[in-house]
Amino acid sequence: MIIEKFFNKWIMVFLILIPTCGVIFDEPYFITLATKVVILGIAGIGLNLALGYCGLISLGHAAFFGIGGYITGILSFHALNDEVLFSWPIAVSGSSEMLIIWPIAILVSALFSFIIGLLSLRTSGVYFIMITLAFAQMLYFFSISWPNYGGEDGLSIYMRNSFPMLNTMDPISFYIISLFWLLFSIFISLRLINSPFGMSFQAIKQNEERVKSVGIETFKVKLLVFVISGTITGLAGSLYTDLNRFVSPTVLDWHTSGEIMVFVILGGMARLYGPLVGAAFFIALEQTLGSYTENWQFWLGLILILVILFARSGILGLFDKKLKYEK
Amino acid sequence: MKNKILNIKNLSKFYGAFKVTDEIAIDLNFDEIHALIGPNGAGKSTLIKQIVGSVKHDIGSIVLDQEDITDLNDVERAKIGISRTFQVSSIIPKFSALDNIILSLLNKSKETFQLFKNIRTNKELDTKAKKILREIDLFDKSDTLASELSHGDRRKLEVGLALAMDPKVFLFDEPMAGLDESGTKMMINLFKKIKTNSPILLIEHDMDAVFALADRVSVINYGKIVATGTVDQIRSNVLVRDVYLGYEI
Repeated sequence: MIIEKFFNKWIMVFLILIPTCGVIFDEPYFITLATKVVILGIAGIGLNLALGYCGLISLGHAAFFGIGGYITGILSFHALNDEVLFSWPIAVSGSSEMLIIWPIAILVSALFSFIIGLLSLRTSGVYFIMITLAFAQMLYFFSISWPNYGGEDGLSIYMRNSFPMLNTMDPISFYIISLFWLLFSIFISLRLINSPFGMSFQAIKQNEERVKSVGIETFKVKLLVFVISGTITGLAGSLYTDLNRFVSPTVLDWHTSGEIMVFVILGGMARLYGPLVGAAFFIALEQTLGSYTENWQFWLGLILILVILFARSGILGLFDKKLKYEK
Repeated sequence: MKNKILNIKNLSKFYGAFKVTDEIAIDLNFDEIHALIGPNGAGKSTLIKQIVGSVKHDIGSIVLDQEDITDLNDVERAKIGISRTFQVSSIIPKFSALDNIILSLLNKSKETFQLFKNIRTNKELDTKAKKILREIDLFDKSDTLASELSHGDRRKLEVGLALAMDPKVFLFDEPMAGLDESGTKMMINLFKKIKTNSPILLIEHDMDAVFALADRVSVINYGKIVATGTVDQIRSNVLVRDVYLGYEI
C-alpha cells in the first residue's frame, strides 16, 4: 500500500511534467494526448465506483459518456448556429459556455443514470450486464437515426466551448481544465470511499445478503452509486466532445463501454488511480503499437489476458503489498 | 399476547408438494431464550429465513412487538429490529473485525447515507464497535481481516454483528457450531446477559448449551413443531426422544 501511494504521487508528477514538456518542446500533440488520458481517466474513475468498489458490472457506461458528449455537442451546435434548442413551453437557446454546459451535462447524465439504474438494478449478474448494454445500444441506435444532429456522421462543433479568462483552444488551457475535473473526481471518489456510504457499497460488493441483514437498503445504496458513477462518466463525455470538437454515435457504442472497463481492469479495480493508469497505458499502447500495426488491439487483448490471469489487481496492484488479500 | 415480542402463526412454505414448514406456530416472550431444535433438514433454518424475510412464506403471519411484519421485506424487518446470524458464517471478508461491526452500527446511527463524512473520524461508532468487540472477546483482533479470523472467531463476529444492531429480537442459527469450550462458555454467558434486552430464538445442536440457556424449547420435525415446553418437559417427552434426541437424558 505504501508503494502504491508513492506510485500515485508519481502519477501526479507525470500529469504536470508531460504537458510541461509539451510546452517546452513545442509539441502540442503530447498535451492533447495527455488531455485524452485525463478525460478517459475521469470516465474510468466514474465506472470504477460502480464496478470496482460496488461490484456493479455495467456494460452501459457508454450511454452516460455519450449523453455528456451529445449534450455538449447539441448545446454548442445551437449556440454556434444561433438557433433555439426548443421553443415550447419556453424558448431555450444553446450555449457555448462551459460553465453552463457542464451543469446541464451533469444533470442530464445523472437523470439518465437514475432511470437506467432504477430499472437495471432490479436484476443482477449477467442480466445486469445485458440490460445496461441494451440501454446503451438503444441510445446508440437512436443517435444514428437522429439526422438533426448528424446521424451516423456525428456532429462537429468547430470551436471549443469557452471558459472565462481562458483560451480553451490553447491545448494547455484545456488540459488544465480537464486536470481540474480529474482532481475533483479523485477527490469525490476518495471522500465517498472513506464515508459510511462508501463502507456500505464496498461491503455490498463482498456480501450483499449480509449487508441487507444489518438493515442497510442495498438497492438505494447501489442506485446512488450508479448515479454518481454515471454522472462522473457523463462529465468526461462532455470534456471529450470539447477535446475533439466532435461527437458521434461511436461514443455511445458498446466498444466505448468496453474500453472504459478495460481502463479500470488494466489499472486496477477499486484503486483510486487505477482507471487513470489504465487509460494512460491504453493510450500509450495505441500510440506505440498503433504506429507499427493496425491490429494493435490484438496485443492489448494479450496484455488484458495476462493481467486477468496473473495480476487481477491490475497494474497498480503490482505496487500493493496487500495483493495477497485480493481474490 | 402482551408478553410476546414475536408471535408467529400458521407459517407454511411449500416447494411444490413438499412442505418445508408446516403451519408453524411459535412465539418469543420478553427476557426469554427460546431454543428450536430438531434433526438436520427439519426446517429450522428455513423458518429463520422466513422470519427474517429472505424466504417468502406462502401462508401465515408474523407479528413483532405488536406490529404485523408479514408483508415487510428482509431489509425492512432488519431495520425494525430483527437481527440474525447465519448457519454458515456470513461476514464481510475484506473488512477488519472492527469495520464489520461498524457496518452493522450504521443503520441504527442513521449514518448509511452520509456521503462525505470520514468514517474514521466518527469516534462514537468506533467506541461502540470496540465495546462490542470486547463483549465478544475479539478486541485484540479488531484490525484483523475477517477472512483471516479462525472459524470460531467468525462465529463470534457474527454474534457481534447481531449485537451491534441493538435489535428487538435475536435469531441465532447455530452460533456455537465449531466453537471450543471457552468460546461456548463465553457465548452462554453473553446470551444470558443480552436476553434481558432482546430475547433470543436460538437454533443449536449443542444440547448442553441449549439446556443451559433455554427457558423454553420447541422441537421441529419435517417442518412441523412437534413439542414445546420447558427444558425438563422436553427432556422427558417420549416423542422428542424418538425424533431427535434418540437417547434418554
